[in-house]
Formats: sequence, structure tokens, C-alpha cells
Amino acid sequence: MKDVVTRELLKAEAHPEQPVLEVINLTKHFEVNGTSISVLEDLSFSAGIGEMVCIAGRSGCGKTTLLNILAGFLKPSDGTVLVNGEPIRKPGPDRCVVFQEDTLFPWLTVRENIGFGLKRRAKDKRRLNEEVDRFITLVGLGDFQHYLPQEISGGMKQRVAIARVFILQPQVLLMDEPFASLDYYTRREMQNLLVSIWRDLGQTIVFVTHDVDEAITLADRILVMDRSTGRIREEIELTLPRPRRAEQTDYVFFRRKLFELL
Amino acid sequence: MKLLKKIRGRHVLLPWIIPGSFFLVWMAVSGADLVPHYLLPSPVKIIQTGYSYICASPGDSPYAGRFLTDAGASLTRVFSGFLLAIVFGLPLGVLSGRLAVVYGLLNTFINGLRAVPGITWLPLAMVWFGIGMKTTVFLVSLAAFFPIYLNTAAGTRQISARLLQAGAMMGVNRLRGTFGILLPGSMPHIMTGLRLGLGISWAYLVLGELTGVPNGLGAVIMDARMLGRVDMIVVGMILIAMVGRASDGLLVKSLKTCFKSARRMI
Repeated sequence: MKDVVTRELLKAEAHPEQPVLEVINLTKHFEVNGTSISVLEDLSFSAGIGEMVCIAGRSGCGKTTLLNILAGFLKPSDGTVLVNGEPIRKPGPDRCVVFQEDTLFPWLTVRENIGFGLKRRAKDKRRLNEEVDRFITLVGLGDFQHYLPQEISGGMKQRVAIARVFILQPQVLLMDEPFASLDYYTRREMQNLLVSIWRDLGQTIVFVTHDVDEAITLADRILVMDRSTGRIREEIELTLPRPRRAEQTDYVFFRRKLFELL
Repeated sequence: MKLLKKIRGRHVLLPWIIPGSFFLVWMAVSGADLVPHYLLPSPVKIIQTGYSYICASPGDSPYAGRFLTDAGASLTRVFSGFLLAIVFGLPLGVLSGRLAVVYGLLNTFINGLRAVPGITWLPLAMVWFGIGMKTTVFLVSLAAFFPIYLNTAAGTRQISARLLQAGAMMGVNRLRGTFGILLPGSMPHIMTGLRLGLGISWAYLVLGELTGVPNGLGAVIMDARMLGRVDMIVVGMILIAMVGRASDGLLVKSLKTCFKSARRMI
């Protein structure tokens, strides 16, 4: 209950009507052998403070392209992306990404990887250490903090990847199918972990996935992308209480609906 | 199988089997007088000459006690040349690995230059720099430059774009990205380049010293040839092998001491 209240307060303190992330008429074309291929076409949506928005779509619908643009890795052909009303220019710690693949620095330990982004900003070494400790505990890697990435499992690597961006408290957290390469049980575990950290910290998250169950488990709102047109086909508000279980009637209803749309 | 026993995970005897049996065959050949001594001196003679070269006081015999002076002179030349090669090879390698413009500018020129055998530079170097330190350092740095440059370029080119993106999204600027991500991420390649460079440095050191400089391990070998002291030639060769091997070990060790990436990725 507490976190909901905090989030409501945050919302009221900031500009209640202004979303954290605004995507306006975003268009992206790629030139391939002289012909222009349209990936995203006139796409618009927004995400409010502390909202978890899932972008669902089949592979090849431009989800990753969209995320690369939001992160600042790619320039849009047309349209604008605003974070707190400011247009984005280049990648930055206000929009952090958890990638699908392993992008930890192999020469740094779990602990050093988690502290990497914060180290640059932190003047006070003791504060930095406390902060890193807090996030190591949060993702449950206390016993593995001095291990190297190559010595831990895929699930643990994604825990590190999550911790190293949450610690920077980005305005928007972008997640590009971060659990897609994990086994079923680890994936469920990671989804629950993400929800619990998210409820603690109240970050705005844009989560890209092709997995129907993942979208229903996580999202406040699901945007279904259409493969052929590169637009958002449908927007679904999920009013289900958490934790969400596959036996709930509403869950089954949303699941069927998503399957029809995808 | 006792020979293959490991202590703390490392083979103790295995690396010595080939040198050991080589030594025994050599003993047998020279003991049975199969080859005249002026072509291949006996191991005992080599040990005596080596001992006198390293430990005896200078003046006892032509080469007595000269080792430290010679090794010092050679090491100075090798390290000056090697350092020069790093100063040019490493930054140029990084630039050429990351920037298509620099690659386009340098690649043809450097590969053309590389196709010219190092020895061909000797006459020109002697005209330019005379005999001695400068010529040797020039040859060494020229030869060591290529492996350092090429491996650094390959290493920085192959680094995953996602690692750099991960850095960028955590707010890392270009400068810190270079030292904090690009160089550590390319460390295995860079280390290979440096080791190859140092190895070839020793080869070109000897070439540079063969031109008639008064001291140095290569100079001693050449001098001994003119005096017909085959034993001294062999001692010089063995010592170059040992000093070269030791300097390689030292290079690896110091890289591992200084850089996490060298310690943890190799």
C-alpha cells in the first residue's frame, strides 16, 4: 500500500498531467539496397510516473528498433521523444537499458559492474559502497559479489544488469526482452523480482516482450504492435491485482485477447 | 607417469623433457667426437664460457665478465624501441580500429610498409642514423610497431557495440569509454600484440647489433664469430633466449599486475 501512496504523491508533486515519457509521431525507415523499409510508422504513446508499460509484438515488428530509439542509440527518421518534456539527444543515464544479451563488463566483478555507472558521479566513497551494498542485496547477489560475470549463471547476470541500472535511478527504464534467454522457472523468478523492486522504487518502465504471459504478469498497460503497419494496434489497460496468477478468470480473458491480437 | 605430475596445477618436469634430451644428445655427440669441436663445442665448454662471461672479473679473458654491460646495453635498446613502438602503435591501433576514416587513411599505407622485410631497412637506417644505438632502436621500433598496431586495431574493432552502448547509457563519455571499456575490452588482443612486438624486438635487436657496435648481446655474437669462438656464439644465443623469455614473462606479469582486465580475462 505504501508504495502506491508514494507514487501518487510523486505524481501530484510533479506535473500531474505531464507524462515522464512521451513518444510523438515516431517514424523510422531503414534504407536497404536502395529501397526504404518502414519499421515504425507514426507511432505515439506515453508513460506516466511509476507506470509499467509493456510493448508486445511478434518478432520483426520493430520493438527493438523502438527501444534503441528511446535509448538514443538510433536516430528516428521523424517524430520526437520527450523525457519530462525535454527532447532526447543522445544516450544517457536518465534512460537506462537492460539488454536481452549479456552486456556486463567481463573484467569487472559483480560488485564493480553494479557500481560502474554510479562510481563516476559519486564523490563520497562510503556512500557509494552503501548504495552498491543495498542494490546487491536487493537483487540477492550478496554471496556472489566478488564473482566475475563468466562465473555466474544467466539469471544472475540479468540480476546484475538490473541492479546496475536501478542504482542510477533513471527517469525511464527500458527493458528489451531481458528474460527471453532464461529458462521458464528462472524467468518467473526474475519477473517477480522485477515487480518487487519496481514497487519499492517506483520507476517508470518500458518493457518490450513477445511473451504474452510475461506482458500480463508485469504490465499496467500493454501496447500491442502491429507487424505490417509499424503502429500500435491496440492499447490494453490491465486492472488485475498483483501478484497475478494464470488461474484468474481475468488473466485468462486478457491472455485470449492478446493471442488474438498478436 | 611421474614425469607428468603437477604441482599446484602446473607441470614441473614436462617443459624440461625436450631441452633435457636435447642436452643429452649433444653431450653424447660431442663426447663421441662425431663433430669437430670448432663446429660444435661440448656442453662443458659452453658452461665454462658462460660462467666466465657472466661471473668472472673483466680482463681475465676476452669475454670475461662482460655479460652485465652487454645485457644492459641490449635491454636499453630493446626497451627504447619497444616503448617507441607502443607510443605509436597503441593509439594508432585504437583510432584505426574505431574510426573508419583513420582506417581508410592508414590501412593501405601501413600494410604496404609491412610488406617490406625489416632487414631491408638496415642499409637505409645505417645511412640515416649511423652505427649503434639509434639504428638499432629504429629497427626495433619499426618491427614491433606492426604487431602492436594490428592487434590493437583488431581488438578494438571486434568489441561488441552493446558494451559501448551499455557504457553510454550509464553516462560514460568518450574519453572514459576509451579507458574504461574499449581498452579493457580489447586487452586480450592488446596483450597478444605487445608480446609479439616484444618478441620481434629481440630479433631486430640482434640485427641492429650485428652492424659492429662495441657492446650488446648481438654484438658479442658477431665479435665471437670473427675470432672463431663458436662456444661464445652459442653462449650468446642461449643468453638471448633466456633474457627474451624472461622479458616476455615480465611483460605478462606487469600487465596482469597493473590491469584488472589482463588479470581476469586472460
